[in-house]
Amino acid sequence: MNNDILMKIKDSISGFELEKVKGYTLEAIKENIDPIAILDAYREVLNKFGEDFGNKKIFLPELIGAASTVENSLPLVLKEIKEKSKKIESFGTVAIGTVYGDIHTIGKAMVATLLIAGGFMVIDLGINVSTEKFLEAVRNNDVDILAMSSLLTTTAMEQKKVIEQLVKENLRKKVKIIVGGGAITKEFAEEIGADGYDPTATGAVILAKELLKSN
Amino acid sequence: MPLKGFTRNIKPLEVFNEEQLESIHKGMLDVLEITGLRYESEKALKIFQSNDCNVDFDEKRVRFPSYIVEEMIRMCPSSFTVRSRNPNNNIRIGGNTLYFSDMPGLRILDLETWKTRRATKKERDDTLKVLDALDSVHLLTSYAPYFEVEDIPPLMSIPECFAAKLRNSSKVSWEGYQKDCEIYVIEMSKIAGQDVIGISLPSSPLSYYSDACESAIRFAKEGLPINIACGSVMGGSSPVTVAGSIISANAEMFGAIALAQMVRPGTKITVQGSVLPINMQSGAPLFGVTSAFLYLAGALQTWRRYKVPTISPTGWINSKKIDIQCGYERSIGALISALAGSNVQGLHGGVHGELAHHPVQAIIDDDIAFTIGNFIEGIKVNEDSLAVNIIEKVGPIPGSFLAEKHTRDFYKEGPHIPKSADILTYSEWEKTGEKDAITLAKERMEQILKDHVQECPLTAEQDREIEKILKKARSFYKDK
Repeated sequence: MNNDILMKIKDSISGFELEKVKGYTLEAIKENIDPIAILDAYREVLNKFGEDFGNKKIFLPELIGAASTVENSLPLVLKEIKEKSKKIESFGTVAIGTVYGDIHTIGKAMVATLLIAGGFMVIDLGINVSTEKFLEAVRNNDVDILAMSSLLTTTAMEQKKVIEQLVKENLRKKVKIIVGGGAITKEFAEEIGADGYDPTATGAVILAKELLKSN
Repeated sequence: MPLKGFTRNIKPLEVFNEEQLESIHKGMLDVLEITGLRYESEKALKIFQSNDCNVDFDEKRVRFPSYIVEEMIRMCPSSFTVRSRNPNNNIRIGGNTLYFSDMPGLRILDLETWKTRRATKKERDDTLKVLDALDSVHLLTSYAPYFEVEDIPPLMSIPECFAAKLRNSSKVSWEGYQKDCEIYVIEMSKIAGQDVIGISLPSSPLSYYSDACESAIRFAKEGLPINIACGSVMGGSSPVTVAGSIISANAEMFGAIALAQMVRPGTKITVQGSVLPINMQSGAPLFGVTSAFLYLAGALQTWRRYKVPTISPTGWINSKKIDIQCGYERSIGALISALAGSNVQGLHGGVHGELAHHPVQAIIDDDIAFTIGNFIEGIKVNEDSLAVNIIEKVGPIPGSFLAEKHTRDFYKEGPHIPKSADILTYSEWEKTGEKDAITLAKERMEQILKDHVQECPLTAEQDREIEKILKKARSFYKDK
């Protein structure tokens, strides 16, 4: 029975069926299936999608399509995990967002998806995220990595603002910071005091793992 | 007399038939009436409310009845003059005229390593000097030539770059906005005694942020022209299909047309569809591919129908180097845009999207612009050009046309020899150092930097006043 529902969840993610993933997830929770097993089912499919994406077997519409079904149902599973005081095995928690003034979502969504697939817990802060919202995420959660995206040159400096504010509030040492987006270069990342930069989504996941390994 | 530019005398390229064009138009009307646009600006929402649009203040959504859409589009002048301080550099945008401008780059391209880096102020000024000297650069673009210049903080990029343009050229330009800096831009343009074209950018899909609204309102109130540029990516922020993206981008660009016309009826507008397909592997925009060109041609056809002047970004390419790919990607786009009736093309100097620029590329582009511009001027058909009498006079072999007065009279009208292309015979090429187009363009750049003198520079008084405005802006943005 357990495997049956978990299989249905996995098939529905692969079929990009938003409502079905949610329905089967609710059913699994009702059947008292271990929420960690549901989370693992999510990760298993996304991991396969991530691999296929890396091997150019599938492209963004499939990757983001599958991720959106997980994104839609993940809060249900996380709530259940919390209520049952279960421990999630993960490489760490990443809070991710596109900086204030910038509404570009694609790059951030790719990185978030591949991070989940790669075994990270992800807090997606969305787009047009203010400095305060980034800080709030660091303050209120056990965040290991803060990931900021900026496609526009005009908003790249917002990343610097966030880092400066983290320093001011003595939160900088609490997190590793990675930055990315069209407007960002390696030199710029170093200049503003980020811990890492990678121009690709797959590279960002490797970078995140390396940063936490060196911790 | 305004700068002549090029006049399209050939039938424009049409990718839609009348029925398809009507479907695109109706699609846009439906989107605007049913879905509407989101405006993150209380000021804009109030303007729309007082002009009979359906405004939902909670959703920040404006829905436009079709009659308002059509009326607002009709209010846009089909052509208008943009004044320079130098009357020789006035331009009249619209109709069947084609002008060219430069394409900005974030950074300067290093021709040895093909890496990009921040430009120095001298490199920026030298680039502007080259652009001023090039015959087929009729106006200067925004955020240009480089957005990242050494020792200029990001918030001062626009005011400093606008001042540099005024100081190095009397060609008119358009300019961007960022945290109210357009106030300083407008002040500087008044001091220089010339118009500046403002910008308002929708945020796809179907949204406007407050700074874009503010910019449209400010420029409209000043009676200045506004370029409305939509930069959605097909499959990301607009539908993956070309037709759907044209509908969505046209609806978005209408959003600032309406705002500007409601603030000041008759506001001069250009629309710039910078819509590109998405690279489904990296998420980055894809330049120089078929759907990008189909979008250009289709969108230009729709705006030609509305009689609203257009700008096309054709210097956007994937190539990171000045190489064959760089040449074919831009040339295909530039030719298609010109054939489809674009009024201004952003071409000169851009390499790799908007990430790099180099004056050597701008010099090569001047030849591309010159060739394409002359092509769309078409073939003259009159008694002289038909030349039947001369054909009869010369007759069969051993006849020759070289010695004919007809040849002397008309050879200068063509074949329009490019200035920096290698057009030598093989032996001449060997004797003169086997130079390619890039080498020749570099030599031309050196020559321009040595010899070019700007027409109608700013007076010392104007320069001082501009410096005062910059000082004010520097102080305003110091702690921001």
